[in-house]
Amino acid sequence: MAKTIMVVDDSASLRQVVGIALKGAGYDVIEGRDGADALSKCTGQKIHLVVCDVNMPNMDGITFVREFKALPNYRFTPVIMLTTESQESKKEEGKAAGAKAWVVKPFKPEVLLGAVAKLVLP
Amino acid sequence: MSTKSGFDSRVVIPLGLAGAGAAGTIVAGWSRWGWYTVLWGLALLALAVWSVLREQSGGATGGASASVETYLHSRQAFSDAVLPVWCRHIENSRSQMEQAVSDLAGRFSNIVDRLDTAVHVSSHDNARDGQGMTEIFSRSETQLGSVVGSMKSAFESKQAMLAQIKDLERFTRELRDMAEGVASIAAQTNLLALNAAIEAARAGPAGRGFAVVAQEVRHLSSRSAETGKNIANRVGLISSAILAASEAADRTAAQENSSMQSAEAMIDSVLHDFRSMTDALVASSELLKQESVGIQGEVGEALVQLQFQDRVSQVLAHVQQNIERLPELLREHSDRYHAAQILEPMDAQPLLRELQKTYAMAEEHAVHGGSGRAQPAAAAADEITFF
Repeated sequence: MAKTIMVVDDSASLRQVVGIALKGAGYDVIEGRDGADALSKCTGQKIHLVVCDVNMPNMDGITFVREFKALPNYRFTPVIMLTTESQESKKEEGKAAGAKAWVVKPFKPEVLLGAVAKLVLP
Repeated sequence: MSTKSGFDSRVVIPLGLAGAGAAGTIVAGWSRWGWYTVLWGLALLALAVWSVLREQSGGATGGASASVETYLHSRQAFSDAVLPVWCRHIENSRSQMEQAVSDLAGRFSNIVDRLDTAVHVSSHDNARDGQGMTEIFSRSETQLGSVVGSMKSAFESKQAMLAQIKDLERFTRELRDMAEGVASIAAQTNLLALNAAIEAARAGPAGRGFAVVAQEVRHLSSRSAETGKNIANRVGLISSAILAASEAADRTAAQENSSMQSAEAMIDSVLHDFRSMTDALVASSELLKQESVGIQGEVGEALVQLQFQDRVSQVLAHVQQNIERLPELLREHSDRYHAAQILEPMDAQPLLRELQKTYAMAEEHAVHGGSGRAQPAAAAADEITFF
């Protein structure tokens, strides 16, 4: 059974690009348009990993990670931040919120897939 | 308030009063009250002149103030009218670009999916058919080899049987010799019986019994000769039949040998063609797989390049947010003027600082700093941090 990865990004094209890479590697993908939309979709189903942007409307990525990790079902679900931000201070915020990795856009699909393969829950 | 002729009533009235007072004084003779009237008129005149001058001075100030008001109002109206249009254009372009890139990515996704399907089917078919064909080829080769082996074995059996048939000729020759031996014995017996009959005749009546015996021996020898002849005839027939069968078997063997060699050559040819076909199939499938990997690599690279939309979209969003802030800043500037009646010079730095705070990418900072056209960020494998 394919593992499920949630992709959270306000850019539809980025969700599409990430989705292509992940689906090509055999993962199932569910999408969130922003942090709030993604949280509304976390209804207890198994999510093996989350790939999340930082700068988004309604709810930014850091806040989403913080609230997502506070949900009992997803306490141990790893999160990869995928963003154009590369400042160390932002990375620290992500780490403090509970993210496991930080990938800077533009990304190479094999780099993202490498990080996903390393972190995805069994 | 000015009269139509240009004289102000505030000047004319005191001047008239002073003039009337002076005229009254002159007419009534110079008196103290007359001088009072003149002085009062002059005082009023001075007051009126001061009032007019002040008003004129105040009017100039009020005109400038009105111009500033007009300018500020028009500036606000200008920004309120223009900036939303600019922002809508930017937003529209952003959303169009996002939609187009999203569609483009979707097309690439379809290409990759269909390519995957084609390669999967091809690989599967190749694995199934190619491997199956290889197995079929091996099995066919074995089975056909077995058929050829069986044919060879049958041919050898026939050759062995033919050899045995040819061996029968030897026996028929021996039988013929034996038949000839029988004929020879019969002839000698006949001769012996003949001599016995002669001797019996010479013996007279005493030899009658012997003559009967001799006669019977002659009969026997005749029958033996006849039997020997019959045997020789039958053996001759058998020998001819065996010879004919042997010759026919030889001819059949030659034909079979030729057919077998022809069949073997045809089987080799078919197997060779089959092998060439399976090799070509495997090679084309391998080529398809390699090409597929190449195309997937190209699509992967294209997907990296398509991410430009996200970066450009972010830059445009930041600029748009900054543009949207401008009317508010202009309004605040106007408010400060209204509060202090001092027209401050416009300062771009606060707005630029706000813009700078929104930057997420190094290239935005570079462009802001005026370091020329920043290179778009390239996907970097080292841009990954594990916590």
